[in-house]
Amino acid sequence: MRRADIQDEPATYERLVYKNTSVYHYMRISLVLENESTRLSAAQLKQLIVSGLRDLYGEVGGAFPFDLLKFDESTLTGVLRVYNSGLVKLWSALTLLGFYQNELCFFRVTQVSPFLLTLSGNSRELELD
Amino acid sequence: MVRLKSRYLLCGVCVSDRRNLSLLDDRAIYTATKAAVARAHGDYGAALSSLGFSVKYLNAHTGIVFLRCRKSHYRLIWSALPFITSLENRGQRVPCFLNCLHVGGTIRTCQKFLVRYNTQQLHRMLPLCQSEAERSEIRKSVLSCTLKKEADDEEEDE
Repeated sequence: MRRADIQDEPATYERLVYKNTSVYHYMRISLVLENESTRLSAAQLKQLIVSGLRDLYGEVGGAFPFDLLKFDESTLTGVLRVYNSGLVKLWSALTLLGFYQNELCFFRVTQVSPFLLTLSGNSRELELD
Repeated sequence: MVRLKSRYLLCGVCVSDRRNLSLLDDRAIYTATKAAVARAHGDYGAALSSLGFSVKYLNAHTGIVFLRCRKSHYRLIWSALPFITSLENRGQRVPCFLNCLHVGGTIRTCQKFLVRYNTQQLHRMLPLCQSEAERSEIRKSVLSCTLKKEADDEEEDE
């Protein structure tokens, strides 16, 4: 019950601006192998990335948590999720990764964004009718 | 004027067998620390920490080591110290661990800390002395300890 002597304050207008609420960064990557018919499972890809991180950043770096959210085995493309503090480490490890089981390979990073929605489309694959 | 700042890590080497302590030399500690940093922090850590990294002082009697490194990444080396399990010297492997006692900006501050630390250790150990002979010996060794002009080593034999 409101007391009669308390006056209602005029409704205040409040504007909230978030600089960057996202804790994670999402990367869309694709793996390109020398021998095009080799196939990897999701676990093997994650093991490959962890080994790359461990080579470059040691045991401490190899233990940094990241997730493989989606992986398409036929095209070898996937979406990785990593905490903001580990983005530089993960990206540099992906850049310097050159071999998968004595086979030349490289990672192509197509999109990086703090929001997952951004990865749903890009102008390269945009079809204008 | 830009000044190159460094950090000195004051570590004590703890070995189970005191006789092995005299076998230490600075090259063994240098290689062991570099290997531990390379294992813990990878190629990036090994390369970054090797800039300006050196073993400045080693006292084989008390097992005190001063490690010098850059201020920007002294934490890499500090965090890798617990991973050192043994020191290799002329084919002999001595199991040990490095205990970091103090981080200072200059050698002088580290030495001031070392004097205070040694007096504290002495106060702690004197009451535990079994016989009067030990006590008198400790007193004699402390009184004979002199502070050199360069203040290089303050060693007190327990």
